[in-house]
Amino acid sequence: METLVQIENVSKVIKGRTIIDSLSFKVNEGEVFGFLGPNGAGKTTTIRMMVGLIGITSGDIKILGSSIKTDFEKAVGHVGAIVENPEMYKFMSGYQNLLHYARMSQGITKEKIAETVGFVGLTDRIHDKVKTYSLGMRQRLGLAQCLLHDPKILILDEPTNGLDPAGIREIRDHVRKLAREKGMAVIVSSHLLSEMEMMCDRIGIIQNGKLIDVQSITDFVQADGSTYEIEVDSPEKAEAALKSLYQEVPFQINGNKMIVTLMKDDVPDLVKAFVHEDIRIFSIQETLKTLEDRFLEVTTRKGENLNV
Amino acid sequence: MFNLIQNEWLKIFKKSGTYVMVGLLLLIITIAGAFMKYQDTRASVPDNESWKKGLEMQNQSYQKELEESGDMMPAAVKVSYEESIAINEYRIENNLSPNQDYSGLSFVSDMSSLIDFVGLFVIIIAGGIVASEFNWGTIKLLLIRPIKREKILASKYITVLLFGGSLLGLLFLYSGLLGLILFGTADQPVPHLNYQDGMVTEQNLFLYLMKGYGLSSINMLMLATMAFMISAAFRSNSLAIGLSIFLMFAGGQITQLVAMKYEWAKFSLFANTNLLQYFEGTPMLPGMTLGFSIIMLIIYFILFQAIAFFVFKKRDVTA
Repeated sequence: METLVQIENVSKVIKGRTIIDSLSFKVNEGEVFGFLGPNGAGKTTTIRMMVGLIGITSGDIKILGSSIKTDFEKAVGHVGAIVENPEMYKFMSGYQNLLHYARMSQGITKEKIAETVGFVGLTDRIHDKVKTYSLGMRQRLGLAQCLLHDPKILILDEPTNGLDPAGIREIRDHVRKLAREKGMAVIVSSHLLSEMEMMCDRIGIIQNGKLIDVQSITDFVQADGSTYEIEVDSPEKAEAALKSLYQEVPFQINGNKMIVTLMKDDVPDLVKAFVHEDIRIFSIQETLKTLEDRFLEVTTRKGENLNV
Repeated sequence: MFNLIQNEWLKIFKKSGTYVMVGLLLLIITIAGAFMKYQDTRASVPDNESWKKGLEMQNQSYQKELEESGDMMPAAVKVSYEESIAINEYRIENNLSPNQDYSGLSFVSDMSSLIDFVGLFVIIIAGGIVASEFNWGTIKLLLIRPIKREKILASKYITVLLFGGSLLGLLFLYSGLLGLILFGTADQPVPHLNYQDGMVTEQNLFLYLMKGYGLSSINMLMLATMAFMISAAFRSNSLAIGLSIFLMFAGGQITQLVAMKYEWAKFSLFANTNLLQYFEGTPMLPGMTLGFSIIMLIIYFILFQAIAFFVFKKRDVTA
């Protein structure tokens, strides 16, 4: 897998205050990278630096090898982006907006515009004025705008802000499709964890301008094993069976359900033990720890470490 | 570059406000034309026999006033009296009746005072062309294209100039056309009488018009550049438009007030924007020459552009 975006030791100092503190990470071809952090952590600032809207105090950002600082035109030519809300010229139609942006890049044909409009599903309304669009439609137009020049990298800052569930789902589907089918590297920022969980392959967590962790989403969520919910006829017998098998395992009894945290490999053994004890098992369900739990865990833990 | 200018041009003409401006300009010319035509037909019985006598009497009364008030009279008023007297005398000597037929060209000449009005519109466009992008938030999408910021700003500036030029062209052509329809051409070309340094000279009216348009556009160019600079540097269209329009109307007067006491007033922008002062009438301050004003204007122009480009280039876009 090729590295498309390389962030090298990037810092941003505004009026003596360090907003971003030596950030480094890489984003590869065909992956969706989630940029996660509480409000004010520096997500938007980092994204703005990646597209050259904000200057970089030290360090460098390379896009397909070209520096955004010294080779801006070449670097940004590979990028399509929505920075916060996709603000368009409201007094023009969606199509005129796209034409406007198409004129600013090389070699975008009318066919390409029509194809992009079709991809985001705006064909019916594209000739209406943007001021008549709903937020979801504006977001779709924003997406069309950044796909016109076939970028290798797509940067979406808070792409689902203010969208309804259907709109969120739509954006998510588009993002996954673009990464899978076109091999784009997609960088998405958000403070909404559930959404990141469904969209991203890897996530980087940023807090107070520092990158505190980069992990693949599955590792991140399952780092300490998973929690299983086992519905049985007799929780007491199940408890005894579990204790005879593993002494130190944390568990909880909730009505007919036993909730236990195990490594995946231990699950069959436990089931065997239950069957052996003649315990009837109605269901076993893996309850993934949500990203939210993990996120809070990571940010508070790391935050404490930083403070020490 | 052409594409960028096309973009900016379309953005101007996709807004209804622009059509209001153009419509207003055409409407004022039309109303003025209709008004003058009406006036013209009612008062077009020139007293052909005794116009010389009339001018002599006028001169006598001017002369009397000049003598009576003496030093009490402000210099500007005195100059205007002297100018009227000199021109009247010239008319009597050369048998040039003031009661000439009002021709299409005279109408264009009268309408050229609307150049200030055009200047107002150009300032509005110049003041908004950068700041609006910040207000709308569209600046973010504009600046992440593979185009250098300088180039985007330059395309916007060129568009402002094109817009100003087009409005001036429209003013000239429309008032010319309307003048031709309403008043026709004059039987014999009427010269423009110019008074400078105590001398009266005749000028071809058309050349005079061209000169007037040319010199007024320099005034417009400087104000538009200033509005553009404020727009690009401070991202506020109300500040850019408000300040520029205020200075457009009051800048000259303020400079004149300052000039009464301090000589450095000649270095202010507004002492130099009116280049017509070197061709007609007298310069605002002694010691000012055409060359001096041109150099001052060039310095101001470069200063405005440098500020606009430097700030726009370096700015962190957080809108």
